[in-house]
Amino acid sequence: MRRVAFAAALALALGIGVAALGGAQASNPQPFERGSWAKIVADHAGRPTIYHFWGLTCGPCLVELPQWGELLARRRDVRLVLVAADPVPQPPEQVGATLDRAGLARAESWSFTDRFYEKLRFEIDPRWAGELPRTVMIAADGTATVLPGVADLGKVRAWLDAQATASR
Amino acid sequence: MRGCLLALIVAVGAPPALAQHTHSTETLTATPAFGSDGTLWLVRGSGEGIVVVRSSDEGRTFSSPVAVNRRRIDIDWGPDARPRIVIAPDGEAVVTFAIFQDKRFNGRAYYARSTGGGGAFTEPKPVTADATSQRFETAGIDPSGRLFTAWLDKRNVARSIAAGRPYAGAALAFAWADSATGFGDTHVAADNTCECCRLGLAFAGPGRPAVMFRNIFAGSIRDHAVVTFENPDTPGPLRRVSVDDWKTEACPHHGPSLAIAPDGSQHAAWFTDGTRRKGLFYARADDAKSPFGQPLTLAPADRQPSRPYVLATADALHLVWKEFDGDKTQIRWQVSHDRGLSWSVTRTVAETTDASDHPLLVARGTRAYLSWLTKLEGYRLLPLGAGS
Repeated sequence: MRRVAFAAALALALGIGVAALGGAQASNPQPFERGSWAKIVADHAGRPTIYHFWGLTCGPCLVELPQWGELLARRRDVRLVLVAADPVPQPPEQVGATLDRAGLARAESWSFTDRFYEKLRFEIDPRWAGELPRTVMIAADGTATVLPGVADLGKVRAWLDAQATASR
Repeated sequence: MRGCLLALIVAVGAPPALAQHTHSTETLTATPAFGSDGTLWLVRGSGEGIVVVRSSDEGRTFSSPVAVNRRRIDIDWGPDARPRIVIAPDGEAVVTFAIFQDKRFNGRAYYARSTGGGGAFTEPKPVTADATSQRFETAGIDPSGRLFTAWLDKRNVARSIAAGRPYAGAALAFAWADSATGFGDTHVAADNTCECCRLGLAFAGPGRPAVMFRNIFAGSIRDHAVVTFENPDTPGPLRRVSVDDWKTEACPHHGPSLAIAPDGSQHAAWFTDGTRRKGLFYARADDAKSPFGQPLTLAPADRQPSRPYVLATADALHLVWKEFDGDKTQIRWQVSHDRGLSWSVTRTVAETTDASDHPLLVARGTRAYLSWLTKLEGYRLLPLGAGS
């Protein structure tokens, strides 16, 4: 309850309609802005985390998403953060509804809200020209593994297994 | 007039201070063309629609905006899409643009004309009767004054799928306009092009358009190609510009640019993220039949080089693109006075610290200008090469 109240206050502060937070749109993404990346990574630091960048305007991303939903359902050890990185910001309710349909309603979710995408991408990786989908796996020690394009989930599972072994 | 200019800067410069999430249909484009009388025409696209403004003093002041669309439209807001404008030698203005027909990014390309000096435009009409999907339309006036347009068309996708065969990408389609009746029959110049990147267009001579596009080569390799027409009805063979080996199923939303110098040499600039080459590149060919030479790297890949544009004037070639240094987007510029055989050092000609449109080039006689719309500064038309 407290989280909902906080989210409502945040939404008011950001000028987003509070109505959009009701029931069906519960999985609306959080706005990804300048500075967001450093905060998100700091929040997950020390724990193996998979960041999956996708887009509503990216066909292959939409085909791939349900596979991430399946992975999330089967493995409780996945810390998955989804970032909708469309070059033109998309309506959050569409982003949220798409994730719901893919079985990703409970994953942490963000969405680009700034047309100055050069800045957002640069903060994530200066060499990333914006191609989607893209997966970045960051280990407990901060080591990043990048999987450009549609991810081979076999590699993702192997990485997760290796993280579990490392933490024992 | 000063008031008009101020109004324009406000209109194109600062988006309303709404929650940014509501900006899904916001577009931020301004596309120029010079008329033979020296008038600068600018077509601007936004979620509100499409307007045209004119300037008789090289962009210092502008006329009041004239609306092109009469009904509300869902403008194609893809990052490589924009309304465009061309001015015929007799002063007729033609605006082309695309709308989204549905939520699956099927588009419809339209055109509208003004013979009255831009005071009003005709009701927009589709460039083709087929309603499947058209996007990334681009128009040009050939050296004999004929209006040509090319676009990416999905009619063959629909036919192929109906026949139970898969079809990758879209088709490069074209049509010529002959008279006030509008564009004639549509023809397909090439099948299986990438479906989401802008086209580059130049003319090798009267009736001889050359179109550069991101093609889909075997194995889903999305590298660039040029087709130069042999005559108005006959697209020539597809020439691969370079082997970058960018294998991707996704849409890069990042198309090329093409120019043809008076000697017939062809000049191509493009972005790739291939296994053989990553970043922004330029290559030249001696003529419409020669192969393209070794690509030159324009910028380091860690500066997000993007949106190249190449322009040929009677005596020079100009090349601009965007780079990002972590804080500022810069427009970088190079010039060649020997048909692209050698290039000047790279200079920064403009910069901004927020969102911006693609940098475009436009010529008035032998004078080249950078045309650039930015969120903070509004519209700028900057002469290139003054004092250099």
